[in-house]
Amino acid sequence: MLGLGLGLAVAIPISFLQIFAPQPFRLLASAYERVLRSIPLLVTLFLLFYGLPSFGIRLAPFTAAVIGVGLRSSAYQSQIFRGAILSISENQFRAALAMGMNKIKAFRHIVMPQALRLAIPPWTNELTIVLKDTSMAFALGVVELVRQGRYIIVATREPLLIYLTIAAIYLILTLLSNNTLGRLEKRLRIPGIGVEERAR
Amino acid sequence: MNKEKGSVLRIEDLHKSFGDNHVLRGVSLEIKRGETKILIGPSGTGKSTLLTCINMLTPPDSGKIWLLNDEITASRKVNLLRQKIGFVFQDFSLFNHLTALGNVSIGLTKVKGMDRKKAREKAMEELKQVGLGDKASSYPAQLSGGQKQRVAIARALAMDPQLILFDEPTSALDPELIGEVLTVMKKLANQGMTMLVVSHEMGFARSVADEVIFMEGGIIVEQGPPAQLFSNPRVERTGEFLSRLSSLFGEEDEK
Repeated sequence: MLGLGLGLAVAIPISFLQIFAPQPFRLLASAYERVLRSIPLLVTLFLLFYGLPSFGIRLAPFTAAVIGVGLRSSAYQSQIFRGAILSISENQFRAALAMGMNKIKAFRHIVMPQALRLAIPPWTNELTIVLKDTSMAFALGVVELVRQGRYIIVATREPLLIYLTIAAIYLILTLLSNNTLGRLEKRLRIPGIGVEERAR
Repeated sequence: MNKEKGSVLRIEDLHKSFGDNHVLRGVSLEIKRGETKILIGPSGTGKSTLLTCINMLTPPDSGKIWLLNDEITASRKVNLLRQKIGFVFQDFSLFNHLTALGNVSIGLTKVKGMDRKKAREKAMEELKQVGLGDKASSYPAQLSGGQKQRVAIARALAMDPQLILFDEPTSALDPELIGEVLTVMKKLANQGMTMLVVSHEMGFARSVADEVIFMEGGIIVEQGPPAQLFSNPRVERTGEFLSRLSSLFGEEDEK
């Protein structure tokens, strides 16, 4: 959850940089996003946890896991938002400027409400992935769901049962979150882009 | 409406290039209060560029534009001046996430800071003005092209503009939907709205235009009252273009 939050917090500025910033920043943001999308999460985690101490930065396993999951997710999420924003026709933006809105207002009142709606389905998908990726934190010794299960297995000698339980918990969490966002998506739906004017 | 014959829009020697493409090569033009002028000409001639220069969506390279007493081209308050210039796009450019009413009222609430209830009332009036009072709660995707364009006109009207620019307002419409939009525009012209319209609807030009302006190659080739321009153009190119238009559109009674 924290990882997803961090991912979101980093992703939005990154997507803005990629779309609106002058060339050098845009390249920088693109490079960030490419690199993080290209490295396996496990390697990112190991780099953070085992690699950073060489620079004198020692992270707690949990912190390293949150940062690792968060950074990687930010790269994917930035793509979601970039795509959503770019898919809103520029003409609507121009029309907003033409009636006297400044760029910030035009973005906030015209582009964003539409882009956010478009971003919900892919974002739900990303949430599902991040949720399951938390199991990677196992490798750093964080006591997450899988490690907790291992402890229980040691005590009970019931690996099949316990792993099935873990699978079930992931399944339930995923279904639950997808369901919630699916309902949000429906509630915000407007004909044409799947929305209606927001309840204010 | 206001009867004084002051000029609402004045353009002086406007130039604009995109790279090597010199689109506007010195356009000068004036529109007085209550006048409707129709801009015609082959495509790629700079008509649309001229319109977007007027509200600075496309900043011109040189030349001056005045709206009433404000020089738009020198102003730092472009957003303020844009409120006084309505713009109707060829592709409507409605805000897809807002209802017809929302499209018309959003400028009032977010730009003019009007309170929501008043804005809705005014927006409703404007929608009725274009004959769409019953479509207030429809979203753009639920409207026909002609209805969308009428919403776009209502959206422009709601801001109480000094001038409305129309960029080929009917050319994205099916033929049977063009009439409803032109009817609304005629009504506006008759009510004394000041309008500059890029359009090749010659019937419309004949019935409402105070002046028709023929542009080609980035300059104004000829301008004059429709009757004169259509029946007796002074420049050969104008005649050629007009007769090509008429044969294309099967213009009714061109003699």
